[in-house]
Amino acid sequence: MLKKSLMLLAVAAVSLCFFGPAAFSQEDMKNVPNEVFGAPRRPAAVFPHDAHNEKAQIEDCAVCHHGGKDGKMDKEDMTAGTACVECHPVAGAPGQTSLMRAFHKQCVGCHLERKAGPVACGQCHVNK
Amino acid sequence: MSTIADRRIEDAGLEAGIARLTPEKIKKTIEAVLAGECGARLKTYIETCVRCGMCAKACHYYMSHKDPSYAPVGKVKQTMWEIINKKGDVTPEFIHQCAQVAYTECNLCRRCMHYCPLGIDTAYIMSVVRRICHKLGVTPQYIQDTAHSHSATMNQMWVKDDEWIDTLFWQEDEARDEMPNLRIPLDKEGADFMYSVIAPEPKFRTQLIYQAAYIFNAAGLNWTMPSFPGWDNSNMAMFTGDSEIMARIERQHFEAAQRLRVKRIVMGECGHAFRAVYDMGNRWLGWKWHPVPVVHSIEFFWELLTSGKIKIAQKYPGPVTVHDPCNTIRGRGLMDKLREVVNMICDGIVEMHPNREHNYCCCAGGGVINCGPPFKNVRIVGNKIKAEQLKATGVKTCVAPCHNCHGGLDDIIHKFDVGMELKFLGDIIYQCMEKPEAE
Amino acid sequence: MNQLYDLAVGPLTWLAIGVFVIGSLYRLAAMYAMAKKKDGPYLTYMSWRFSLRSIMHWITPFGSLGWKENPALTIVTFIFHICLILVPIFLMSHIVLWDQFKGISYPALPDGAADLMSVAVILACLYFIWRRVSDPTVKFVTSCQDWTVLILVLLTFCTGFLSYHQIGSSLVMTTLHILCGEAMLIAIPFTRLSHMIFGLFTRAYIGSEFGNVRKARDW
Repeated sequence: MLKKSLMLLAVAAVSLCFFGPAAFSQEDMKNVPNEVFGAPRRPAAVFPHDAHNEKAQIEDCAVCHHGGKDGKMDKEDMTAGTACVECHPVAGAPGQTSLMRAFHKQCVGCHLERKAGPVACGQCHVNK
Repeated sequence: MSTIADRRIEDAGLEAGIARLTPEKIKKTIEAVLAGECGARLKTYIETCVRCGMCAKACHYYMSHKDPSYAPVGKVKQTMWEIINKKGDVTPEFIHQCAQVAYTECNLCRRCMHYCPLGIDTAYIMSVVRRICHKLGVTPQYIQDTAHSHSATMNQMWVKDDEWIDTLFWQEDEARDEMPNLRIPLDKEGADFMYSVIAPEPKFRTQLIYQAAYIFNAAGLNWTMPSFPGWDNSNMAMFTGDSEIMARIERQHFEAAQRLRVKRIVMGECGHAFRAVYDMGNRWLGWKWHPVPVVHSIEFFWELLTSGKIKIAQKYPGPVTVHDPCNTIRGRGLMDKLREVVNMICDGIVEMHPNREHNYCCCAGGGVINCGPPFKNVRIVGNKIKAEQLKATGVKTCVAPCHNCHGGLDDIIHKFDVGMELKFLGDIIYQCMEKPEAE
Repeated sequence: MNQLYDLAVGPLTWLAIGVFVIGSLYRLAAMYAMAKKKDGPYLTYMSWRFSLRSIMHWITPFGSLGWKENPALTIVTFIFHICLILVPIFLMSHIVLWDQFKGISYPALPDGAADLMSVAVILACLYFIWRRVSDPTVKFVTSCQDWTVLILVLLTFCTGFLSYHQIGSSLVMTTLHILCGEAMLIAIPFTRLSHMIFGLFTRAYIGSEFGNVRKARDW
């Protein structure tokens, strides 16, 4: 029963992520969508997509929306429009970085590298 | 709240000792002891103590005064921590304080080990302080005299060789009035056991030798006593910190037994002597266990009574209470046998609380009573808690199978009007046993 | 501040863990070597059976005379130590960092429970502080180092609590929290906190001596 509803939820979340970019304008994106986690233990990470990219001067979507094959990241392959969870399942597996880890590495990793942007837990997962 | 500096006591030995000290000598001696004789035990004890103060309630001195400077950890603070923190750069007056704390305010009874979560052996730390004081020649006069006696005569009370034999003949003679064929067999090779006593017995408690001889003869035992040095099982050098003399005494004692080819050593009702023979001497001499098995009177009487070699004609009247001496209870776990013996010879036990391994100390042991008159009052008022414990039983008799305990309890019984008589197991057994008809 | 955070979660973490692990192992090995050299007559009485017997009694609340006679301290100290060990290991935020940097993941405590346990540690520290100030015996023997390690634990848990509840600047609080935690780890082998390393052994020794030689209880 629980498994079934989780599956349903996952399918719903995946389709939302998939069609999301087409259906909604990126300007409306304020958080990293976290519905796919089921019952997340922290508030969704603050992420105003367009403002962030403008400030960070990111033009190329592939900087974040990368592709990859056989567990190897491919920065050339632009995958905007594909839901992150497609390649990064919630529960990681060998060769597949888990979704949470992918997010954390993606965001915090870059912020640490560029010495700019939020890095501590509470800076992104802001309590309401 | 006071500190050791506020309760300085004049003692000829301590004063003369510190008068001879120089800062260089103190530092050199301390460094030699810490580096040469101490190791991981002292280091971990000093380092891991979290200063929680839980041990305070373990100590009868603290319980009697409620003064932090009497808590086990308080004593360590006023001595060893200071010595280590200052790397031995301490004054002669400070050494006086160390000696007064270590020799006269700690009985090495090891009760605090039941209070320390980390299992820190405060008695050991105090022994190291004593060792330093001994090496500096700062020891209370009275106990030092007994250590000198050990060194010169191999017994504690300056008993000369002929006096020892003479005393045994005298007691044998006395006892023959009661049991005509009684013998105190001297130097009987191959006997089942050698009976050893502390020197105060021939010196001023000869009736204890009489009683023991009577009991052993009545039970038809094959026993002996040495006519030569090694007969005294007491060991005050152990308490002054004179480990070298301590070991000489223990070796002599064991060698006396080996020379007589006895199967084992039976020791009289003394606690500190048992500690020396059972726990201390063998270690210093490099033996893990004892070359000759060692049995304390409590256990030996238990054997005699349970095997029926001694029968009790009429039990000692009235309920009694039992004092658990630290060296045979915390030191050897004889609490059950002690109670079984007392139940076989007396009319019931009214327990003190706390008891068994948790029993409060008599405040005489550890060499404290042997430090003599200058410190007598300290140890008596420092054991009010024991007097209250005794009083609370409401009985008229206390069985205490240890000489030091007798000394300490006797003093507090008088000081605090407890109104109680003290008995050795041997006293009661001799009085209540079935006696062969005197002709 | 980002750079300090980077330093704290990166190199300093490894430094702290390295000093803690290698330092502890070194101290244990050195102490054992010293015991073998200098405390031979005592080491020889060590026994697994009596060591464990003693430790079992002493890690049981009210399992020994000392615990029974100090009931308030016993309750606080057990809660304190249990929480102090469990929270840092099983806190989700910590596991997430393991996951992020090393891909290591394991079950975490529920947030509410971890929060309560942290509060318990803070309250326990306050109790210990109160005791050090108000109990004459403890006050008499308290030294600078006792304060340092106690404050260090208190600060670590306070900043952790504030970070979790996002009171004050998240970045500053989290960075402080990490630095305090690292200071604590580094302090373990070299301060009174070393009772974490040696405590079991001192207890084991006295347990062995009481069980093996003295045939008596030591609890």
